[in-house]
Formats: sequence, structure tokens, C-alpha cells
Amino acid sequence: MKPKNNHHPEEVEDSEIKGWKKKLVWTWIFTAPIIIIMLAERLLGIMVVSRTQTTLITLILGFIIVFILGWDTIRSGTIGLVKFYFNMDSLITLGTVIAYLTGIFYFTGWVQDYSGVAAMIMAFFITGKYVEAKARGKASKEIRKLLELGAKKARILRNNQELEVAIEEVKIGDILIVKPGEKIPTDGLVIKGESSVDESMVTGESLPVEKLKESKVIGATINQDGILYIKATKIGQDTFLSQIIKLVEETQSSKVPIQKLADKITSVFVPAILILAVLTFLAWLLASGDLSRSIGVGVAVLVIACPCALGLATPTALMVGSGMGAKNGILIRKGEAIQTMKEINTIVFDKTGTITKGKPEVVEIYSKVKEEYLLEYASSLEKLSEHPLSKAVVAKANLKKHKEVKNFKILRGRGIEGNIGPKKFVIGNSRLMSEQKIKLKNFEKKIAEFESSGYTTIIMAENGTAIGIIGIADAVKEDSIAAIRYLNRKGYKTVMITGDNEPTAKSIAKKVGIMEVIANVLPEEKAKKIEELQRGGLVAFVGDGINDAPALKQSNVGIAMGTGTDIAIETGDIVLAAGSLMGVVQAINLSKATFRKIKQNLFWAFAYNVIAIPLAVAGLLHPVVAEIAMALSSITVVTNANLLRKVKLGKIIKKKSNKHYHLLRS
Amino acid sequence: MKKLKITIEGMHCSSCAGNIEKSLKKITGVKNASVSLMLKKGTVEAEDSVSVEDIKKAVSKTGYKISKIE
Repeated sequence: MKPKNNHHPEEVEDSEIKGWKKKLVWTWIFTAPIIIIMLAERLLGIMVVSRTQTTLITLILGFIIVFILGWDTIRSGTIGLVKFYFNMDSLITLGTVIAYLTGIFYFTGWVQDYSGVAAMIMAFFITGKYVEAKARGKASKEIRKLLELGAKKARILRNNQELEVAIEEVKIGDILIVKPGEKIPTDGLVIKGESSVDESMVTGESLPVEKLKESKVIGATINQDGILYIKATKIGQDTFLSQIIKLVEETQSSKVPIQKLADKITSVFVPAILILAVLTFLAWLLASGDLSRSIGVGVAVLVIACPCALGLATPTALMVGSGMGAKNGILIRKGEAIQTMKEINTIVFDKTGTITKGKPEVVEIYSKVKEEYLLEYASSLEKLSEHPLSKAVVAKANLKKHKEVKNFKILRGRGIEGNIGPKKFVIGNSRLMSEQKIKLKNFEKKIAEFESSGYTTIIMAENGTAIGIIGIADAVKEDSIAAIRYLNRKGYKTVMITGDNEPTAKSIAKKVGIMEVIANVLPEEKAKKIEELQRGGLVAFVGDGINDAPALKQSNVGIAMGTGTDIAIETGDIVLAAGSLMGVVQAINLSKATFRKIKQNLFWAFAYNVIAIPLAVAGLLHPVVAEIAMALSSITVVTNANLLRKVKLGKIIKKKSNKHYHLLRS
Repeated sequence: MKKLKITIEGMHCSSCAGNIEKSLKKITGVKNASVSLMLKKGTVEAEDSVSVEDIKKAVSKTGYKISKIE
């Protein structure tokens, strides 16, 4: 994270809310007497003070409200008017100043006094701005949390001494000590210690992740139960968290296509309203000859028009949406993806590392002896080999202590052998077994079955007799099945693309419920296959960001899977921080919900202006009522955007007992 | 070509953001400019010939202030 002097949005936002609040209080203190005098006269018919005195009091209080408390608005509005960069403030400035001036010209006898209206318009404008600023602050809540997430301090080990330093002083290669309950200061590698770490704030993964020696850890996550010694590998702008923040900020400055029309309207809106107000004033003057009434109507037109609601519609919804995404490890890089998502009908998944874990794992064991026995002895031998298949066996056994092995030998390309106590073990493929004249009777059927399921099968023999077989495969990720089932049910065509041969690919596809398989595809052909699928409609591609970059780019919405500690920042319209397929479901639901919110907001903003402006032109709205309506329209839009939080993205809960995964649906 | 990040003070509505974008794009050498009302931030992509002063001037012309530029 950046040093402290960084001007984060939260500071600006808070000072903005505070500023409006102060103005709000003072404005109403000064507006109250004006309203009391006005209501006493209008409703009760009591003249507290004389007509002239009323105008004088209103002019004095009104001056404070409009020109002192409302100075920022008047200043910005005037600059806009003079330099021809018309803005919202220009409309309010004209509306209030004109109304205020009627109070002065009242003494010449030309017009009725509207200066009280000027004060009230400004009072409601300031009130509206305060409420809106607060709602906008709420909209950016998640993002601000993310910005504040980074650790401020680190405990560093230097010359065998623990030293607490500011995070900015940590350098790559420094050894950091993280105690239970503490925040991991920056991205690093565990060099000593074991613990579980809560990464939910960064990846959205709800269960703690086990960390051992050599595990990668992410800065800003919370160490839970053990002491970890970590070597810092990334600092400052390069950390995982900084990357996420960068992505989120990128989203905010990207545009959603639907917004274009609103932007175009906003850019001509203010000048158009200025002209309309003048025309309305002239028309009323010509038709009625009543100068005061014509001014009143003209002012109502000025203050009712609300380009704000139009302009806030998209960015606020996008802000809430991307904030919710970030909280769940879904990073929407391009606003456009939100709009495209709803037209997607095909979702293509890369196999390795996307549907599957991308590394071999023991998936099935068939044994004539006790499984624990088989694994204990197999693991003790395999521990001595670096082969990926060996590692899979060792990981499965997960032993605290291994048996002592003698006469260990690696038989390249075939397997391993060695002695434990008096027993001789051979572990390897069927070629090794036939070499050593070990009979596979009783296992042949099972081996064939394993192989047709796409497993790599290794056989274990004790003293020349086969005792069990272990099926190893690139295992399917825990939630792949639930996610794909959900997508199928929602009517998407699901496709798997892989370099594997057809039978292996098909067996995996069948297991997870994928409808269509494209097998034997070379990595460089993936983009082309996507292009072919695009003839049938818009296609989303889900794959890892590094190898699948061209396919991600070719697809209409590219969803890049992170590995949990790395995010492919350059590719993908949507990036999933945690490499879970459930993230795809969530990303789709979130995109759709956000886009719906944007559409709703734009509809309301348009509808408001289309209805309110003609009413004002027709002279049916009192200027103060017009101002209240205007303030409410912006507030409605921002509040509606905040309601996006109510949307359920679809979560999975893990039942620890039977390792089944259930999909919670909204 | 360079990319500058600016933080802007004083914006309170989207027509403000739009005006700043317009004003920035008018500077010769500026390829693209986008301003986010929600983040109070903007990015300017410009030729190297465009100075920080040019950008500051363009923003202040519309009535707002740059509080940070990087």
C-alpha cells in the first residue's frame, strides 16, 4: 500500500460529508425563522412583522444562507456560467440568485418578494447534498474497507532481534514474524511455522487456509493460531492487495455502454434547461403578463432539472457492485462485462486448473489390505521420491512420521522399490510389475476400470504379491460440480476445452455435468475454437490468465481464475481471486444484478426528468417543491444502488462431515 | 505517452465530472481522459509534451482543484 500521505477517497468522502453537515445545521437555523414567518402569514393569517420587515429579515437571513453557506455552490455555478462549463450548480445559482433579487426589487414595487424561496431552495439543496454524500459514502463502503485493509506495521527479524517497523520500511527478503491474531504484513513465503490463515477479506474464501513451510501467504490476511516466520516476497504496489485495489479503481473509471446515452444527455442537459427556463419565463410573461408568476415558474424549471440523478445512476451501482464483488473475490475489471454478461449463452471452461485442481491427487484406492496400512507403507517409500505421483501419495497419507526405508531405489519411468523392516515393497506401473514377475490377478478388472476413468494407476506389491492399487488423477475442484450444475440449470450451454484425449476428457465432463467436450485441443488453438463457438452466440471463457490469454481475449467475457496468491491482472474482463468455479456463478449473478440496478436507476432518472420538467413548465410546481423533488431524485438513485447489497450471489457451504457441497440459492 | 492519475476536490455531481473530462480532452496532446465522481479521481493519457501545469489549469478552469497528481 502507498504511504500515509496518500489522499484516499475515504478521507475526501468523510470531509465532504462533514462539510455538508455543518452547512446543513447552520442553514436550517437561519431558514427556520423565514419559514415560521411565512407559515404564520399563509396558514394562520398572522402578520408577525410588517410586509416590509418580513422582506428585510428574509433578505438578511437569505444572504447568509445563499451567499455564505451556499458559497461553494454559488462560486462553482458562477464559474460554470462565466466559462461556459455549465453544471448542476449553475442551475441552482441562477435559481436562487434570481429569486433573491426579487426581494430587493420588491422595494421598487416591480415584483412580488421571492427571497424566502431562494433561502429555502438553498436549504433543501444543501440537505439533499448531505444525504446524497452520505449515501455515496455508503456505496463505496466495501472499497474503502479494502483500502484500509493493508497492515500498518510489521514485526521484522534483524540480527536475531525482533523489531517493530512501519510497513513502508519492509524490504523484499526481510524475515517477518507474525503472531496468532495478527495481520500478515505483506505477501511472502512461510519459512518456519505452521498455522491457519483467514484469507476471506482478500479472496472471499470463507474457510481458513492451512499454511506450512513453503506456503505462500497474502498480505493483509489474518494469521489465526500459530506463529509464522515469513520471508517478504512482494511489497508496496506489487502486493496482491494493491493489485486488487488497482483493479477495483480501474472498474470505476471504465464505462458501461448503456451509460453513454445518459452521459450524452448530461453534457447538453444544463444548457438545454437554461434555454428552456428562459423560454418558459418569456412564454408565461407574454401569456399572463404577470412578471412575478413568470419568474416563479422560470425558477421552478431551473431547480427541478436534475442531471445528477442521470449521472449518478451508473457509477453508484457500479461502485456498490464492484465493492460487493471485491468482498467475494470477484474483480470486475471492465464495466462493459456487466452489460455483456446478460447476453452470454455459452460458457467454455478450460479443464486443467479450472475445473480440476491442476495437480495430481489420489482419487481412488482399491486394496486387499487395510487402506491405512497401504498408505502408510506407500507414503514412507514415496516420500523419498520427487515425482508428482509420489507427492500425491504422500499428500494423501499425510503422515506425521514415516517408516524407515532401506535399499531404496528409483526405477526411472516405472516406479520405486525398497525395504521396510523385513518386507520388500515395489510400487509402480504395470510394466514394472511384469518385469518383476508380480501377478496382477484380482486387480486386472479394477485396473481397467481406473484407466477408463482417466486415472493414472500405480500398483503396490509386498514381497512379490500385489496388495493394492492407487488411482491418481487431476482431481476435480470441490465446487466444480455444484457450479456447473447450477449453470446448466440456468440454461447455459457448458463446454469443456482440453488438450486431453477424448475418453479422459469425456469421463471428467460426465462427472461434473459438462454438456459438450472439445478434446485434443492444442493451447494455441483454444482461441480459434472459441471463435467457432461464437457463431452460436456470445461466449464466456473461464481459464487461467497466463496460458489462456488469447482465449480470454477472444471470448465476449473472459473470466480469469486466480490461484489464490496471484492474479492475472492483464487479461480477463473479470478476475476471480480465489480459483473456485463457484466464483463464476457469483460473477454472473453479480453482473446481472448490477446491470439490472443500472437500468432501474437510469429509468428512474429519466422518468423523473421527463415527468417533472413539463410539470414545472406548466407552472404546476412551486419552486421549493421543485427543489425538494430534485433533491429526492438523486437520493433515490444512490439509495437504490445501495440496495444492490441485498442480492444473494449464491454461496456454497461446506459440510465438513461428509465433504459434500451444497449450493445455497437466493 | 504517459498516464497521469489525478485526485480532484470539489466535484459533487456528474456534470462536474463530465465538464472536467471535456476540458482535459481539449488540451492538445491529451489522448484520453476519464474522471470518476465516485472515486474523486481521474486518469489522463497524454503525450509527454503535456505538462502537469496544463492539466492543473484545465481542471481549475472548470472550477475544481487538483489535490494530487502522480
